[in-house]
Order: sequence, then structure tokens, then C-alpha cells
Amino acid sequence: MSARHWATRLHLPTLGAVALILAVWAALSWRYGAYVLPSPLAVARGFADIVVSGEIWRHTAASLGRILVGFGGAVAAALLAGLAAFLSRTARGVIHDFLVILNSTSVFVWIVISIIWFGLSNWAPIFTTFMITLPVVASNIVEGVHNVDRRLLEMGDVYRLSGRQKFTSIVVPSTLPYLVAGMKVGFGLALKVSVVAEIFGVTSGIGYVMNYSREILATQMVFVWALVMILVMTATDTLVFDAVSRRLDRWR
Amino acid sequence: MAVRLQVAGVGKDFLIPVIDSVSFAVEAGEFVCVLGPNGCGKTTLLRIVGGLEPPTRGHVLLGGEPVSGSGRHTKKVGVVFQEDRLLPWLTLRQNVALVLEPLGVDARARRATADRYLRLAGLAGFEDYHPARVSGGMRQRAAIARALAIEPDLLLMDEPFGALDAQNRRIMQAEVRRIWRETGRTILFVTHAIDEAVAIGTTLIMLSARPARIRAEIRNDGRVERGKLIDDLNTLIMEEVERQQGTSSMS
Repeated sequence: MSARHWATRLHLPTLGAVALILAVWAALSWRYGAYVLPSPLAVARGFADIVVSGEIWRHTAASLGRILVGFGGAVAAALLAGLAAFLSRTARGVIHDFLVILNSTSVFVWIVISIIWFGLSNWAPIFTTFMITLPVVASNIVEGVHNVDRRLLEMGDVYRLSGRQKFTSIVVPSTLPYLVAGMKVGFGLALKVSVVAEIFGVTSGIGYVMNYSREILATQMVFVWALVMILVMTATDTLVFDAVSRRLDRWR
Repeated sequence: MAVRLQVAGVGKDFLIPVIDSVSFAVEAGEFVCVLGPNGCGKTTLLRIVGGLEPPTRGHVLLGGEPVSGSGRHTKKVGVVFQEDRLLPWLTLRQNVALVLEPLGVDARARRATADRYLRLAGLAGFEDYHPARVSGGMRQRAAIARALAIEPDLLLMDEPFGALDAQNRRIMQAEVRRIWRETGRTILFVTHAIDEAVAIGTTLIMLSARPARIRAEIRNDGRVERGKLIDDLNTLIMEEVERQQGTSSMS
């Protein structure tokens, strides 16, 4: 393999860019002071601190727990929507219209409403996450159901497959890639949204601790927790979703 | 069991009349080729016979039972479409075995039957391959194996070799002819290729240009010399194509 190939595989160009940014970052930090922009070194030290103290796990776990409930609920509801879309053309139309409405509702609307409904509790970020990720996952599934190759379904009719057999052997396999793609986007969104919702009312989680760090003027910790978010996102993307996609593509 | 197919006064309108009125019978175990110029309604006719499309006029009887309408007939029909229509996420064996499920065949017998028909179609050794990993000709063979595996009373084939190159076409024609001799199924085979029809059919039905009527019905029993038959059919089809272009340029 050529040198250039290995350079790309190791993300060398990206690493080079990162090094450049770190240099500029350090210079700006020195110019404007640690409150506005903490130095890369301070952020690294802060990151080491929360790893050593175990704080990183406590808050990450709290955030992931809420995401799992909210996002998991959204996936379950989206699957039901997909099933309804498969069974009835009328249902497909209704679901489609509702998804358009949900898709155009702002995160902030759900945060405010969830605080009114659930008060300052775990359920506020969970509900917000649910409402924001539901349309993303559901539109993907419904589109997948809509795009099932009619010629394959007709083949199923020729050989008199039952509705259940057509569902499990034709509809589900052709919809799975859409589900995984929807879940991938949905999970990223869930992480971003639940963190915002955690600013209000809860006393754990990445969003809470970020806002708290800002209040006590520990700007470097805001950066540290942003870094944690990025790590969680990349880890789930490569370890979960990419792995699942690859498995689904085996027959190609 | 192969059964008799009767097509009685079948016609179809899609805004304009596509099939005027077509009547013919296919005796049990016969291999009938339906020929006609492009766009004359051959595929529509086959879909009506297969119960995939209701006729506007007339009816189709399969072993005496009506095909169209809401009531399902009890005969088994296998269809080989222009495309293979295999499920890409299943192996060739799983694809064939799948269509045996509604017949109440148990899993072991399904597997054995699938392997038997894949072998008949020349696919021994490829049972565990996914469709994307084999050639187009092999996929179409697998589709034929699937259609045969249900031991159909009637086998419908809609230009099944249209997507293959000339070499593969000839091989597949010989294969289908051999499989027909070995299994004795009633076959209705639609094609626009005259040489193909003459090479494999026992009876040739030539349709007119749209709206389709039967232009000629010919026994292909070797009494007419093959080259002359092909010439005659070529003349007929050219007349139909000219007639169609004549009418469409006038309208």
C-alpha cells in the first residue's frame, strides 16, 4: 500500500488539522484568558480529573439512562407506526401528516411543555427526547415500508404467502436498513436534545453538569463535558450502528 | 398435475383497449408460446391468466376453475417474471424453500425439495449463495427452480430470458425445454423473439398489434420446416408492426 493510503487510514490529515487548531486555540486562550477560552492543557487536565474521580461515568450514565428510555420509547412507537403503515394505506397517510407536524416543532416547545407537565424531574428530558426523536425514526421506517419493492410483494401473492409471511420475509428485511439509518440519526439527536433538556430541573447528566460548570465559572469543564459528548457519539456510531449496518449488508 | 388452461374472450382496457378479445386453450402438458410485437399486451395477457390482473371482459379457466374474481382457485401457478424477483437477503435455497411454506411442507422437506429443483436448474453447489453473488442467468434459473418447486399446475413465463445475452438465452431455452420434458408441466411462455418461440414451443400463438387479437395459431410439430416457419412468422409480425405504426401516425 502506498504511503498516501496509510496516511488516510490513520486520519493523518485530520490529525494535522487538529494540531493546527490546538495551536490556534492555545494562542487565543493566552490572549483572551481562561474564563473565555481555557487552554487545551486545562481541558485535558479537567478530563483526567473526572475520569479519576469517576464523575464522568455518573453523569454520562445519567444522560444515557434518560436517552435510553426516551429514545427507546420513540423507537418502539415508530415501529408501531411502521406496522400500521404496512397494514393500512389510510394509516400511512395520517401518520405521514402527523410526522410533518412533529418534525416542524422546535425542541424548545417540548422542553417548556414537559416542564409544565412533569415538573423538574427525569421525565422532562425523557419526554423531550421522545417527542424529538419519534418523527425522525418513524419517518424513516414509514418511508422504508413505503419503498418495499412491490414486485417482490406481487411475487409473494403469486406463491400465496400469508400476510405474516410477507411481513417477516419481505417487508421487515427491506425496511431494516431504513430503521438502522433512522436510529443512527435519532440517537445523535437524542444525545443533543436530552442534554439541552437537562439544563432544567435535574441534578445529574452531561447537560446539568455543563450548565453547573458555567455557573461556577469553570469554563474548562464546559469544554471537558462537550468532549465527553463527542466521545459518546463517536463510540456509539462506530461500535453500534456501523457494526449493525455492516451486518445487514452481508448479503450484498 | 398439469391442467388445461382455457382463455375465453379475454379483453382488457387501460383507458384504451389493450387486449381486444383473445380465446385459446392450452391442453394439459402443452408448451404454448405467445408471440407478438412489442407493446401488444402479451404481458397483460399473462398477468390476467396468472390472476394478477382482472380482465375487463371474458374469463380464464384453470382446470375448470375460474382464475379471476375474488374466489381463489385451488390450482398452483408458478410465475417466472422478466426480472428474477428473488429476495436478495435470502440464499438461493431459502428463496426456493420460502414458496413451499404456504403449501404446508415441513422445514426438512422444504430444504430437500429446494435443493432438488436447484439441481434441476443447474445450480447444484450454489444453494448457499445470495442472489447478488451469482450471475443474472443463474438468478433467472433460481427463479425457474422456485416456480417449479411448488410443482405448479400451470407455469407462466414472461420473457424470462429478456435480460440475458444471446449465448445464455440459447442455453436457458434448451434447459427449459428439457425441464418441460422431464416434468410435463403446462407452460405458457410469452416472448417477442420468434426464434425463441419456434425453438421451444409446441404451439405458437401470434397476437396482433394493440388491441390484441389472435393473428395466427400454429402447431409447431415439425411438419412445417423451421426456417420457413420463422420466415412466415417474421412476415406476420412485420405486418403487425407496420399496421400499428400506420394507425398511430394517423391518430
